[in-house]
Amino acid sequence: MNHSHEQRLARVFVELADTLIDQFDIIEFLNMLVERCVELLDVAAAGVVLSDQRGGLRMAAASSEQARLVELFAVQADDGPCLDCVRTGLPVSSANLADENARWPRFAVAAREAGFRAAHAVPMRLRQTVIGALNLLNTESDGVDETSVSLGQALADVATIGMLQHRAIDDSAILTRQLQTALNSRVVIEQAKGVLSAHAGVDMQAAFVALRAYSRSNNLRLSDIAREVAEGTADLDAIAAGGQVSPPRQERH
Amino acid sequence: MRALVTANDDGLPPALTRICGLAVSELVVTGAGVTLMHRPGTPDAQQRLARATDAVAVGLEDLQLTVGEGPGLSAVTAGAPVLVPDLAVAGARWPAFTPGALALGVAAVFAFPLQLGVIGLGSLDCHRAATGSLSPPQAVDGLVLAELAFESVLDEIAGRPPEDLGWISDIHAEVHQASGMVSNQLGISMREALLRIRAHAYAHDLPLATVARQIVDRQLLLGAQE
Repeated sequence: MNHSHEQRLARVFVELADTLIDQFDIIEFLNMLVERCVELLDVAAAGVVLSDQRGGLRMAAASSEQARLVELFAVQADDGPCLDCVRTGLPVSSANLADENARWPRFAVAAREAGFRAAHAVPMRLRQTVIGALNLLNTESDGVDETSVSLGQALADVATIGMLQHRAIDDSAILTRQLQTALNSRVVIEQAKGVLSAHAGVDMQAAFVALRAYSRSNNLRLSDIAREVAEGTADLDAIAAGGQVSPPRQERH
Repeated sequence: MRALVTANDDGLPPALTRICGLAVSELVVTGAGVTLMHRPGTPDAQQRLARATDAVAVGLEDLQLTVGEGPGLSAVTAGAPVLVPDLAVAGARWPAFTPGALALGVAAVFAFPLQLGVIGLGSLDCHRAATGSLSPPQAVDGLVLAELAFESVLDEIAGRPPEDLGWISDIHAEVHQASGMVSNQLGISMREALLRIRAHAYAHDLPLATVARQIVDRQLLLGAQE
């Protein structure tokens, strides 16, 4: 790993730690995590699935909201590396998804259809509790390299601590609240994507990009702006126009 | 929802009685109640107790209604359970609610929202006469019961007997996306949009996921009078 790469990595850890301080938004935090994974690690796509605490897994963040990638995290409710990883609490990998039809009947097919050849899942784990998994995907069938996996695990560890914050981490009530907040926020984002998609005549990926750009350029929490969109109180034209709040109209002289 | 919120008890799903009973036995609490809310946090907010297992649960819901704050309202606002194992210690966040609740003999409260994204229907509020946390499996039971309560209230709004409880746990991103699209296209609330999509699936004997996919792919446009 070269010097500038290390510097970028150090900046990402600082950035992740920085977001924990106030106005914490779990979904935004996990979204940043998967985006940085793709930027820094040798992977084509990344996603986070979280336990719904009822034996199921739900997608919380993906490095792109393209339908095929989102679907790939959704099918892991039935089988796939994330489900195995959450069940065992151990990393799970496949260097060649073409060989995995028996192991993961739904995931292997969906992953290949989406263009992926290798997958790795690392647990988001705090002591005995596994709250979810970080999934790294690659388009080459030689796996995800070891450096990427160990850095991915480090990022997943930071994210897990981040989700539970600096509170009494043995308190299962905190865990329940944080997981359910994250999962409900994710539903709000899907609802908001639908509203924007219909309003602006764009696909779900473009709707998400507009939503996120608007939240960033106006320094608003992603979950808050998504809620306003889904509840019908946001300025949809401004959001669809590329994320900038339109300046106050000037009086003509 | 307005109709339901102002309806007689007769109009409410019998499933809610069973859900409250299960909450008492499975979460090992003293009592439980379900409060329905319409537009919580807005000027035209309405809320109404739908079911309660005991007089204390009725008193707690009256109190939340009167003072306009409490764990149930906080749970719906936050979109996550509010679990308070010792109200005397942690109740300062509800200065008007807490003294009244303690006076009713309530030592711990556990509120679970009836919620799906921005669709908030109310909360399942459980109380205990002694302090102490829910165990993790008890908290999970609370989540499941709140999910069932959400379904049975939604089915009641749709005027359909809740015969297929459990469908919520199977719905995926596209159903939420389709709800957002229909909400925008028809200028209706997210709750109304989900009900329209369900009604279409029901009427055409199609899985909810299939109808949602057709809407997201813009192959199906639900009409205003569907």
